[in-house]
Formats: sequence, C-alpha cells, structure tokens
Amino acid sequence: MTSGQSKGTLALTGLVLIAMFVAIWMVFQYVPNERVMGPVQRIFYFHVPAAMITFLSVFLLMASSITYLWTRNKRWDRISLASTEIGLMFCTLVLITGPIWAKAAWGVWWTWEARLTTTLILWLLLAGCLMVRGYAQNQDLGARLASVLGIIAALDVVIVYKAVHWWRGQHPIVFKSGEKNPLAPEMYTTFMYCIGVFMALFLLMMILRVAVLSLEERTQALAERRTGELS
Amino acid sequence: MTGAGFFRAAGVLAAKDLSIEWRTREGLSAMVLFSLIVLVVFSFAFDLATIKQLGPARLVPGILWTTLAFAGVVGFTRSFQVEARRDSMTALLLAPVDRGALFAGKSLSNLVQLLLLEVVVVPLSAIFFGYDLFAILWPMSVVVFLHTFGLAEMGTLLGAVAAKVGRGEALLSTLLFPVTMPLFISAVKCTNAVLDGKELSSVSNWLLIAVGFDLLFLFVGLLTFEYVVEE
Repeated sequence: MTSGQSKGTLALTGLVLIAMFVAIWMVFQYVPNERVMGPVQRIFYFHVPAAMITFLSVFLLMASSITYLWTRNKRWDRISLASTEIGLMFCTLVLITGPIWAKAAWGVWWTWEARLTTTLILWLLLAGCLMVRGYAQNQDLGARLASVLGIIAALDVVIVYKAVHWWRGQHPIVFKSGEKNPLAPEMYTTFMYCIGVFMALFLLMMILRVAVLSLEERTQALAERRTGELS
Repeated sequence: MTGAGFFRAAGVLAAKDLSIEWRTREGLSAMVLFSLIVLVVFSFAFDLATIKQLGPARLVPGILWTTLAFAGVVGFTRSFQVEARRDSMTALLLAPVDRGALFAGKSLSNLVQLLLLEVVVVPLSAIFFGYDLFAILWPMSVVVFLHTFGLAEMGTLLGAVAAKVGRGEALLSTLLFPVTMPLFISAVKCTNAVLDGKELSSVSNWLLIAVGFDLLFLFVGLLTFEYVVEE
C-alpha cells in the first residue's frame, strides 16, 4: 500500500466512523416507532443491511473464486478470502440481530423459517471454506480448495433458499416488487442511509483486509528469502 | 479428449474401484453394519409409543436419510483412502485422461456402492418400522435413486477435498451436510409422500429440486475436480 492509498483509506475510515454514528443517531432518534412492533423494529436498520452485505460477500466470493481458478492470480484469492471472512462476520451479525427481533415479535428466539435456515446454512458453508484453508498444508492448496468450496457454497445458497422457502415460510417481506413502498418517509430515508453506510463499511473492511493479506504474503516471502540466504 | 474416451476412462476407474471393493468387501460391509447400528440407535431414540403414534410415514423419511447420509460419509472417505494407501492417486493423475473423467468414475463407483447399501437398508427400515415396501417399490426407487445421485457426486467432490487436506470423516461431514441440505429436505419430503401413498406428481417441485441439484453439481464437479486433485 502506498502512502497515497493509505491516506485514502484513513479518510474512508474516518468517514465511515462518522457515518456510523449518524446512522445510530438516526436509528434511535430520527425514525418514529413502528406502529405494531414498537421500538424493537429499529433493529431492522442494521439487520437488513447486514444481510445484504452477507449476500454481496457471497456473490463476490463466487466471482473471485472463479477468477482465481481461471487466472491463478493471488490477488483474486485475497479478495476471495476477505469476502469469506467479512461475509461470515456479517452473517453472524444477521444471526444475532435476527433472534433479538424474533423474540420480541414472534415470541421465540429461533424458528425454522426459510431465510433464517438459509442464513444458518450459509454460515456453516462459509465456516467450512475457512476451515479447509486452515487445514491445508500450504497456501496454494488452501486457496484452490477454498475457491472450489466458495463456488459450491454460492450456488448452493440459491437452491437452499428455494428448498427452504417451499419447506417453510414466515419471514416478513417488507419490500415486495411492484407494490408501493409501505414505509414512512423517515423510515425509508434511514433505511437507505444505513444500507449506504454498511456498503461503505464493507468496502473499507475489504480494502483493509486485502491490504493486510498482501502485506502478510510479502513478509512471508521476505522471511523465506532471509532463511535462504542464511542457510 | 473425445466423448467416448471420457466415458471409457470413467467406466474403467469405476470398475477398478468396484472390483477392489468386491474382493475386500471392506467398505460396503462397514457401511451396512454402520447403517444397521444407526437404525437401531434411532429406534431407541424414539420410544415405542412415539413410533406407533407418529407412524412410519412421519418417522421413516428422517431416520432413513440420516442413516444413509452418515453411512455415505463412511463410504466417501474410504473411496479416497484406498487411493492414498499406495499413493495411487498420483498414478491416476498421471494417466492421460480428463480429470472430469476421474470425478465421473469415482462418483459412479460411490453411487453404485450407495445403491447396494440401500438395497439392504431400505428393506431393513421397512421391517424395523413396519411399512409395506412392495406396495410402493417403484416410486420409492425413483426417490431413492434421484437423491442418492446428488449425495454420491457431492460426497465424491468434498471427499476429495477432505482427503487432500488429510482429514477424514469429521471434515467431510461438516462440509457435506450443509451443502446437501436442500437434497436432504427434498428426500425427506418425497419419501414422506411416497410412504403416505401419494403420487409422485404431488411432490414434483421437490423432485425438480433434486434433479436440479444433481445436474448442477454434476456440472460443477466435472469442472472443478481437477483443481481439487491437482498437485
């Protein structure tokens, strides 16, 4: 990372930090209470964007995995690893915020409903990708196996969703295509704003994680050269 | 590589695996015994009153497919242990055949072994849990075959991943079960319908999921197997 780039990253970090505080203010002060669900509905402004980022990560995971296997350029593997980790983190957030809301709204922490089940399975799939990387004897093998698993995971999620949807469904769908948006204007603004903030956060984490990974690789290469010179 | 060469290579590999299995009967006997034990454990897990109250249509699908999935893991792991023993995987990789053909051959031999296992386990489940298998033989066979197909190909692909990092059943189960979840749901739904005496057309959407899964991951396996096994 050059100094110009790190200045840019630093600026983005500051921006995301401020934007996140504004998001928290909007969620707790600006938006009105939802009529039926009450204050607990405010968790949506974090829950839904987190879910969106999770699926964005999975999409990126698939794209970078395919490109890595195609080109064998390590840069794509770094993106693939970063999106697995970030995806897993946001997926965990979704799985934590979801039950908090569900307990208040549905009266249970967990129910085997379509989206919940899909998210849980996705979590397991992403964890599997990381596990295989950890077990692999060397980095190249780990990268290759994780790419194959990443492709499988991304494709599988679509089928899982379809299957679980037929199996069971009770998740609220706030936005249905073709219908007039049912949210109050403040809610809509906050919602869109939170999506934007989460996107920026995702971008920032992605940049930082990829930079750290490439630094790690460089230090490792340097260390190997050093051992080579000494022996 | 020509189409005929591809199928011949896959056939030769499957025949090799099956003849090893025929001479030792190690894998299949382990799978059959293991399934028997799991079935017995299940009959203890639910007490007699529950079994009678629920009836076979509610109980057997879950028990049957859990048993088959567990036994499958035993078989898939073995399928690559056989190759690791004398490092014959390296010899297979040196053979001038498409890596996809290796996947097809391994999957085929795993499929045949699973089907042989099912010839024993499905009638056993009929005896243990009291349903008339002969009356539903044809739809039951269709359901079992369609779902075993996907299980075998996914087990082969992920079995290769687990073998590659030197981990056995534990890693394979963690990878295989989340990925095959849609297949599992579909298998349970279809078996349930068949045991209830319903037509297969009543579960056509589930069969579609199963066939979709089978075809999609057959394609993915053929394309990605070379990245898993390459040195």
